[in-house]
Amino acid sequence: MLLFPMLLIALYSLMNAGNSIVPFQFTLENYVHFFTDPDFLLILWRSLWIAVKTTVLCLLLGYPIAYYIARSEEKKRNLLVLLITFPMWINMLVRTYAWIGILSGDGLFSMILGLFGIHNVELLYTETAVLLGMVYNFLPFMILQINTVLSKMDPSLLEASADLGASKAQTFWRVTFPLSMPGVVSGITLVFLPAVSSFFIPKLLGGGQYFLIGNVIENQFITVGEWNFGSAISMIMAVIMMLLMMLVRRSERRTSIKVEDAS
Amino acid sequence: MEEKKKIIQFRNIVKNFEDQVVLKGIDLDIYENEFVTLLGPSGCGKTTLLRILAGFLEPTEGQVIFNGEDIKHVPPYKRELNTVFQKYALFPHLNVYDNIAFGLKIKKMSKDVIDQKVMRMLKLIGLEGYEKKDVTLMSGGQQQRVAIARALVNEPAVLLLDEPLGALDLKLRQEMQYELKRIQQEVGITFIFVTHDQEEALTMSDKIVVMKDGEIQQVGTPQEIYNEPVNRYVAKFIGESNIIPGVMLQDKLVRFDDENYECVDYGFKPNEKVDVIIRPEDIDIVPLDQGKMTGIVDSVLFKGVHYEVMVETVPGTQVTVNMHVISNNIVTSEDGQEKISANDFYVDIEDMKDLDEKDIVARADAQAWDPATDEYISISSIETNLENELGEYEVTFSTSKGTTITRKIWVIDQRVVENKKANEAISAFNFFKTVDEIHEAMALDTDLKTWANAQAWKLSSEDEEIDLYVEYDFDPDQIKEGIYRVRFVTEGREFKIHTTDYVEEGAEVGLTFFPEDIHVMEKMGFE
Repeated sequence: MLLFPMLLIALYSLMNAGNSIVPFQFTLENYVHFFTDPDFLLILWRSLWIAVKTTVLCLLLGYPIAYYIARSEEKKRNLLVLLITFPMWINMLVRTYAWIGILSGDGLFSMILGLFGIHNVELLYTETAVLLGMVYNFLPFMILQINTVLSKMDPSLLEASADLGASKAQTFWRVTFPLSMPGVVSGITLVFLPAVSSFFIPKLLGGGQYFLIGNVIENQFITVGEWNFGSAISMIMAVIMMLLMMLVRRSERRTSIKVEDAS
Repeated sequence: MEEKKKIIQFRNIVKNFEDQVVLKGIDLDIYENEFVTLLGPSGCGKTTLLRILAGFLEPTEGQVIFNGEDIKHVPPYKRELNTVFQKYALFPHLNVYDNIAFGLKIKKMSKDVIDQKVMRMLKLIGLEGYEKKDVTLMSGGQQQRVAIARALVNEPAVLLLDEPLGALDLKLRQEMQYELKRIQQEVGITFIFVTHDQEEALTMSDKIVVMKDGEIQQVGTPQEIYNEPVNRYVAKFIGESNIIPGVMLQDKLVRFDDENYECVDYGFKPNEKVDVIIRPEDIDIVPLDQGKMTGIVDSVLFKGVHYEVMVETVPGTQVTVNMHVISNNIVTSEDGQEKISANDFYVDIEDMKDLDEKDIVARADAQAWDPATDEYISISSIETNLENELGEYEVTFSTSKGTTITRKIWVIDQRVVENKKANEAISAFNFFKTVDEIHEAMALDTDLKTWANAQAWKLSSEDEEIDLYVEYDFDPDQIKEGIYRVRFVTEGREFKIHTTDYVEEGAEVGLTFFPEDIHVMEKMGFE
């Protein structure tokens, strides 16, 4: 059941629409088309790049927040986790629309900037807006993943580290951080995957001028009606993501070994 | 004894957690190269004291002096001591080698020095060749050893061990006891060991500190603590013992169980109430006519090296009463505006002369109320044919609106059970209770005593009350209407004896002991 749509897309990507005589035939031309068109390759590159930026920002912002939450008292911790999860109860699309209001020329954001004497900053429909939207939407996933691992960590390990002479910073880099790697990796996975294939955030906040691979796929299916080509792009994306995830997992293993060596 | 240096001094350590006082002013000196055990049940404050020493907790009051310096404001990572944690707290992301090397790497020692030290530790704990092992895959005993090595490798002046053997099985625990003692002697530093296990404490320690409710009860060598416990609590906690309440008549003469015995203790006030302890191995079983006391062998248990024999020297006294469990006796008035309830009850003929209407209402637990508001309505009249003679009578309670309930009263002659050998008498009544009353009882044993008016006293002096125990075999939560037996008993006196000679169960024997086997202790303030 889970695999069936996947198989169908794989099959579609290997066919062309055919003509009146032959309904369809097997071909690789969809793939060739994609890899020979510099426009598509640029969009692919741009998608991966903005996903990387989103992930790095989410990690840099999310880790300290998760750390703070995990070190809070239980009551406060539960409240903070609730606050983090709260926006996720509202449809992502609606939340993104709200950002249009905030970022638009006469929106909240320019008003605040105006107070500081900065005028005429047009954020909406720029790459920054898209990045902002993505970080906003995906940050909770990062925080929750890391927080879960940090909260479950045995506090006596930190005491043991202090007992053995490690300062707070040393304890963080030698004990807390390496032990939180599983949370970091699943956080990265949960942010990077949806970020790379997201289509409505760039569509709404990029205003059609900022095209990502997700938009291309959507276009092929809905506007152009090139289902076979759309399927091929989807397949390419799937393979790329699979490779990237393997890379992340391997590098995680390597960092934990490296931390061991360093300590 | 050679002069030893004080390494740690606790001065009036008080610790509060919110409103709770966990340590009530601890004063304790610990010397160099000592194996000190903090012994006590969970919640006595022993782990708190250890954590204050390690620096994980700050005392509310008092000073911790380490090598002559107050270390109150020294953070844990700057203290010259290391801890072996209760659940080891090994770093799961590091292997055996890196766990042990953790502290050395923090100190930025050179690689070959670290190598040397870690290898020496692995040898000390008998885990050579395990350096690349994943600690999470090791057995509890091995993890334990790694935790000890990880602490010892830093060459601390003091090693703290927080119930480190608690998670191990019995055999391994005993092995580790010897192992720890060996390691301590080999490295020659002070070990402070926290445990609730008296055997561990006796086996390993140079000095035992017995704690209870945040206070030190006694400090001494294992021999001192075992042979000369200062009070009932220490005696009970260390080893097995017979503890008997008694009275110190004069120096070297103590009275318990209605007999006088010679002893070697002195310095008590004349007629001071004391606790007397006789260790099970200090009592000998002898023929009936040679015993200082006599009794009947109640049970014999084979314990390997010895038999554990229970001898009853003073039989307990008992009385059994019937508890009538009745359905809720509630009468509702015709208009449904009033409810009234009451129970049947027994009354002793001796109590009849003082019995007034108030007492009848109380004994019958008669009450009336408005079911709509739950407010009480006063009982306006009580009619009864009660007379000052044995027999069965009726009583009717009614409210001013005329809602009535009729119950029975039995006037009886209260039975007293006398036990001449034990110098005791005991009495109790049958009684009536509803299912709800039993369910609502907060302390059923005490309530049963009150309901049955159960009492026991010395035959020789009626004012001297004796403690009663309640026995019953119903489940109070599941109880239904019916008649149940409730037994009230006095404890009697049983002695536990460890002997290598077999005796028959049921045999009548004499018991003897030397005056020096009797240890007299001050009564504790409470308990």
